[in-house]
Amino acid sequence: MASATINAPVAGRNGVVIAQRPKTTGPGYRTYEIHQRERVGESTEKIKPTQLISPAYRRDPYPLVEVLRENYPCFRDWASNCYWVTQYDDVTSIYADDANFESRSKLWYYGIEDFGRDLRDEIPVLEAQARRIDGFAESVANDLVDQFDAHSANLATEFAARYPLELLAKVLGLPADDVGEFAGRYWRAQRGTSWEPTLQVDGRRALDELVDYFEALLQARRSSPGDDMISAIAGLELADGPATARDLAVTVLEGDHQTLHGALANMWFLLLTHHDEFTKATSERRLLKLAYLETLRHSTPVLSAQRFARHEVERFGRLIPEGGLMICSAAAANRDPRIFDDPDSFVVDRKDLCQREPRGMYRADGLASGVTFGLGKPSKHPAVPEDRPRSLYAITRDTAVTASSVLLERLEGLKLEPGATPYLTSLLLGEMHTCWKLPVHFNKRS
Amino acid sequence: MTSVSSVIDDLAGLDTEDFSQPKEFPLMPLGQAVDMGHADDGTPLIDPRIFNSPEFFRNPYPYYRILRDHYPVYHDKLHNTYWVTRYDDITECYFDDEGFNTIPKGSSSGVLGNTQLELSGIEHRRRRTLYGQHLVGESLKNRIPAIQHLATEMIDDWDRAAEEGSEYVIDKDGVRTVELGMMFANEFPIRVVCEVLGFPKESQDDFYYWYNSMMSGLGGSDTHKVGLEARQHLEDYVESMVEARRIEPTYLYDLEGNPVSKDIITKLCETKIDGDYLSTEEITSNIALVVGGGGETTRGAILNMWYLLLQAPDQFAAVCADDGLWDLAFHETLRHSSSIGGQPRHNSFDIEMHGVKIPAGSLMQMVDFSANHDERIFKDPETFDIFREDLYSGKILRSGFRKEGRCSHMAFGVGPHLCPGAWISHQEAVEGSKILKQRLKNPRINEERTPKDIDGKFAPTGIISVRGLWLDYDLT
Repeated sequence: MASATINAPVAGRNGVVIAQRPKTTGPGYRTYEIHQRERVGESTEKIKPTQLISPAYRRDPYPLVEVLRENYPCFRDWASNCYWVTQYDDVTSIYADDANFESRSKLWYYGIEDFGRDLRDEIPVLEAQARRIDGFAESVANDLVDQFDAHSANLATEFAARYPLELLAKVLGLPADDVGEFAGRYWRAQRGTSWEPTLQVDGRRALDELVDYFEALLQARRSSPGDDMISAIAGLELADGPATARDLAVTVLEGDHQTLHGALANMWFLLLTHHDEFTKATSERRLLKLAYLETLRHSTPVLSAQRFARHEVERFGRLIPEGGLMICSAAAANRDPRIFDDPDSFVVDRKDLCQREPRGMYRADGLASGVTFGLGKPSKHPAVPEDRPRSLYAITRDTAVTASSVLLERLEGLKLEPGATPYLTSLLLGEMHTCWKLPVHFNKRS
Repeated sequence: MTSVSSVIDDLAGLDTEDFSQPKEFPLMPLGQAVDMGHADDGTPLIDPRIFNSPEFFRNPYPYYRILRDHYPVYHDKLHNTYWVTRYDDITECYFDDEGFNTIPKGSSSGVLGNTQLELSGIEHRRRRTLYGQHLVGESLKNRIPAIQHLATEMIDDWDRAAEEGSEYVIDKDGVRTVELGMMFANEFPIRVVCEVLGFPKESQDDFYYWYNSMMSGLGGSDTHKVGLEARQHLEDYVESMVEARRIEPTYLYDLEGNPVSKDIITKLCETKIDGDYLSTEEITSNIALVVGGGGETTRGAILNMWYLLLQAPDQFAAVCADDGLWDLAFHETLRHSSSIGGQPRHNSFDIEMHGVKIPAGSLMQMVDFSANHDERIFKDPETFDIFREDLYSGKILRSGFRKEGRCSHMAFGVGPHLCPGAWISHQEAVEGSKILKQRLKNPRINEERTPKDIDGKFAPTGIISVRGLWLDYDLT
């Protein structure tokens, strides 16, 4: 084995700063023999890498990832410099393997990892979040329904997309007049993690605007706290100093709303286009929860998640180099016929999908759960002690069911607008796969 | 006041038919880049989709200029790549093969197999020497007569082709029109490689197939399968040859028919590493590398050189008057319009470069094209000038890139992975061109048949070199 000593960072001639550079005394960091384990590449004529970044993928990724899953379970995509992992067991094995694979924060995608601290896992923050969400879940849904026309609405934009933002504003305790402007900045900051340069610039600007906006709010809550999340953050006693407006902005940025937004939109899209399942799901609240779980399996809003290899590791018959980017395709895993019978069908009460939160292990009661990015990381805190808040996964699930129940109670004879042909799509490659046009007809109850 | 509804409606408005189309970039006048937006401080933005666009392949230089000036290290999140574009940065990385290692299982190994391209440190040095020693110094000098002979042979053949009505050699009114690619440059380097490797003449047609299919079918391309089939075909061929030569060595001969030395494959068969002979797989992979590397690059160099020289009549006249200037023309061609875009590296450690933090193991593309046009090194880099004073045009440097105050071009790379075929490719292009010059009277570009750019002038060489070059010359 090569021995290594760590040197202090040095700045080179062209400004190259090499951090913690080991001085190897051994034969080198990579031997010919390791390198020779694989021979020439596999023939991958059934798919072209360009298809995986094409408009067709954004619109309907399922046929394409099926080709990968059934032919090239660990597809080396040279064009986008990544590995696609598509079978259920493989995807979950990466999610569960923190020792070999890491996720990177949204700040990393912005290239500003030191910008602020992510405080989502602090107990007072979690408590405030749970308290406020539970307190407002129903009333926010009712407020939105109040604003519908008497007989029609676009459920995607007037409800699914709006609901998480309005609810987040309640969680933070924002003044009502600020919510619209906050929502704009929040969306821009979320989209700025994209590969698209105008979104990056705009998102970075939005992040700064959020910090400016939070500055005064944080001060105010520090002197007169309420029971909202900003107050909880203001009151945190942290080892390296009290929370700043930057920390608050980062905490809001890192915790996103995509699962709730996408799950609501996709669930109603699926229910309204599958009449029998609609009847089944609306017969009792317990089945509505199963519809939510089945939605995340059948049409997950977050199609894939990125993991990076922490070091060279041999998996799936390949030598994955250090830093290798793994695209873990939830879309492919959720439709894996090895795990789910008739995986392309939307079946609310399917028998092969587990009915409760698997808390990061992806299986419970011997059954697989749907893979959704939001579930990739198990809650840091165990569920058992009664005084601990529920996991965000459970909160999101309950909220989606509550919001959907409100719709069912208030909208009589809810059905798709005749002639409407809704569909799922991503606005931009890599963004949430969801429905943006879902016109419905109903008789509103007051 | 902004409302939540208007924020969402703006987003939903993006879900339009137009948005579902792939991004298209217009072709721009030379020297100008497509406007991809600006940051608040006016910095131009780079849309990474440009790297896949026809506009970029036609003329990448305005985009590289933006990268050099504003993003010396550009994190391209669409391709999961860091693009490095300045000459000084690239040379520093190339020389630090501990800090910037070559890519294991890169796109070339997808077809070529495990080659020295992907090794680093002592493993690389050991194997590179095995192959490289046959392409330099005395071995190379011994080959020059054969190279000259091959060129003469090919040009001699044009008369026959014209008589047989070839579509690439047309005689009319005392003027011959010839497509230099089909009639010379495509095949000449292949014949040389064949000769160097000691492949029989009959294998030349296969050779063309191997190298075309493998080079256009590298990992990540749409024709990857064709590349793999060609690789298999080559392997089957080489395997039988290697087995035969392990028993019966074969030799290279001079023009009089005297054996000069054993050919490369025979020498490889006799080579031992760590006490054991090289495996057939190892030999095949490195032959695949020679086949791939020795064809397309030299072909592009010859065509680009003639294309650029004939567009600069003064410089062409100077070269015709003084054979010694072909070296300058060759090097300036490779600076101005190289056939090789750059090389990938992985950073072995967490680093920070120009303020960009790069986690260990990231893919860093060193853009040689851009280094060659770095105005920090080469004055007025878009101009083709064989007499430029800032380009080093002497004997190719093995262990540096700067001599007598001048810098080398980067077409061969620099540092430990400097192209082992640099010397022989130089000889091919220069010796071949000298013979062409002697045989072609008053050559000029056939304007009618040569592809034009959007402004009606000759198209730029772009990323993939000139694909065909129609010349007219006088027969009497």
